[in-house]
Amino acid sequence: MIISTGNIIKNYKMGKVIVSALRGIDIEIQKGELVAIMGPSGSGKSTLMHILGCLDTPTAGKYFLNNEEVSKIKKAKLAKIRNKEIGFVFQTFNLLPHLNIQKNIEMPLMYSGLSGRKRAKIAKKVLGSVGLSDRLKHKPSELSGGQRQRVAIARAIVNNPSIILADEPTGNLDTTSGNDILSIFSDLHTQGHTIIIVTHDQAVAKKANRIIHIVDGLIQNGNTL
Amino acid sequence: MVIPFKESIIVGFSDLWSRKIRTLVTITGIILGTMSIIVVLSLMNGIQKKTMEWMMERGGLAKITVRRDWNYESPTNEPKVFTLREINLIKSLVPEAKYMNPVIRAYIKYSYKKNNYWGPVRGVLTDFSAIEEWDVEKGRFINEIDIREYSDVIVIGTKVKEELFGNEDPIGKWITAHGKRVQVIGIMKHRFMENSGAVGNDNALSYLNRRCFIPLSTMVRKGTGNDEINSFTVKAYDANSAPDLREKLEAIILNLRHGEPVFRIESAQEEAEKMKQQQLIFTIIFFLISAISMLVGGIVIMNIMLATIKERTREIGIRITVGAKRNDIFFQFLIQTILITFLGGIVGVFSGISILSYVSEYLKIELFANAFTILIAITVSVGLGMVSGIIPAIMASRLNPVEALRYE
Repeated sequence: MIISTGNIIKNYKMGKVIVSALRGIDIEIQKGELVAIMGPSGSGKSTLMHILGCLDTPTAGKYFLNNEEVSKIKKAKLAKIRNKEIGFVFQTFNLLPHLNIQKNIEMPLMYSGLSGRKRAKIAKKVLGSVGLSDRLKHKPSELSGGQRQRVAIARAIVNNPSIILADEPTGNLDTTSGNDILSIFSDLHTQGHTIIIVTHDQAVAKKANRIIHIVDGLIQNGNTL
Repeated sequence: MVIPFKESIIVGFSDLWSRKIRTLVTITGIILGTMSIIVVLSLMNGIQKKTMEWMMERGGLAKITVRRDWNYESPTNEPKVFTLREINLIKSLVPEAKYMNPVIRAYIKYSYKKNNYWGPVRGVLTDFSAIEEWDVEKGRFINEIDIREYSDVIVIGTKVKEELFGNEDPIGKWITAHGKRVQVIGIMKHRFMENSGAVGNDNALSYLNRRCFIPLSTMVRKGTGNDEINSFTVKAYDANSAPDLREKLEAIILNLRHGEPVFRIESAQEEAEKMKQQQLIFTIIFFLISAISMLVGGIVIMNIMLATIKERTREIGIRITVGAKRNDIFFQFLIQTILITFLGGIVGVFSGISILSYVSEYLKIELFANAFTILIAITVSVGLGMVSGIIPAIMASRLNPVEALRYE
């Protein structure tokens, strides 16, 4: 089991009011699964993804990543996990506009401590795998939405992480580009990556081995296939 | 592992390059601050050197001058001049004095053939030349025999030679000075020192070239309109013993005038010290003014960095997401601030140096920024970068990645 959570609760303080985003989430995800997390806006699915991606910590409950309890892992090691074990893909791509495509893709490698030459070599290879070899020196603003998302995927997989977390990856794309992105995810799944996609889109969810529905911070359909 | 320093610098540089206008605005304060530090320190340094040069030209640091204090009015009418007897008495009481020379001054008319010249004359002893470290260019200076024999001889300055003789050799020639015939036995060495910042006259020592010298005894006995010794100069064996000798002379002279400070006794060494201290005060004041402008520059930088971090919140979130540690973010922004100030410092140093060359030309003082001055300027600017960059860098490194990613 690559991911397992035990009764995860996440509360936010908004002024004097405490808002419960997650109210006891138990999920288990096996290595190599492609899981879709679905739910209406404000249901807590993005919060769950942030916790699974070690960007946020639960208010209560336990989260095991590769059988290690995340709350007991030191911050520096968590950064290393985000760098090597997890790749993020966002709806809004989250590329750095002032860096060219190559530099954007190289960023995780830089934080891994790789030399410039090695980084460039790997970045070129990965960019080729998403079909954008000719756009190495372009700025993100010079690419279409679909191309930008492919760059974001390239950045997510450049360190060959075991888990890829995608938050509405096709949400800002037209159908054709969305399908292109989904086929890339399918390929990555075939290669053995564990993929968790947060989505509204039934078409996206259908590609998944399993769908987890979240409503009001709780799992609705249970943790089943 | 924190990303390597070199990497941080590359990231910092590319960030600065991608925001050129902002970088330029940010560093302006630092450029001006560093520039003023360079100019102020070098200027004070140059003035100090020039002052010392002036002191050395005027007989060096071992020289002590005794002259009437024009501001002091003696209630008991103590004599404001010395007699030769008093001079001899004082001389016998201070064996620490290597040389001593009383001076009688007058302003007289010189004539040679059809040429006339009005100028100052000094009745002096043989020690004069040694005290002032000023010898003849041609011929000889007044000697003991001249003093003893009341010789009718004169040593003239180069300006007097030029006015009376033109290209003619004056040695051995007789001229009329204050209506009496005296023979020219020597021409003093021409004195020159570039005049700092003055208008018209290039030579700060031109007044010395207008002087003539005759034996003190001749001046007293034969008279040239004045036989009052209202000043004398003394030379200690070295500069370090001059302050003690000055104190001793002061005590003796005060005693001679029944405790009344009719005379001022000044040691060049002490004057130099005093000037150094005054210049140090000015240096500190000017440095503080420069430092304030640097401080303002620092506050501007801190402000801009805080705004930059606000603007780049999402970027910070992205960097943390792909694996940046808190330290990576901290150093990224700190190094960027230091780079800005370092860059500003370098530009400031070069601007300061180029301004110095203009100031140097204008003031006619040799000015240059030495390594120490440059080091101070760069250190202050880099230090400022560290201080003004640290708070924004800490704030950046403490951002919550989830909130940072949501930032629009």
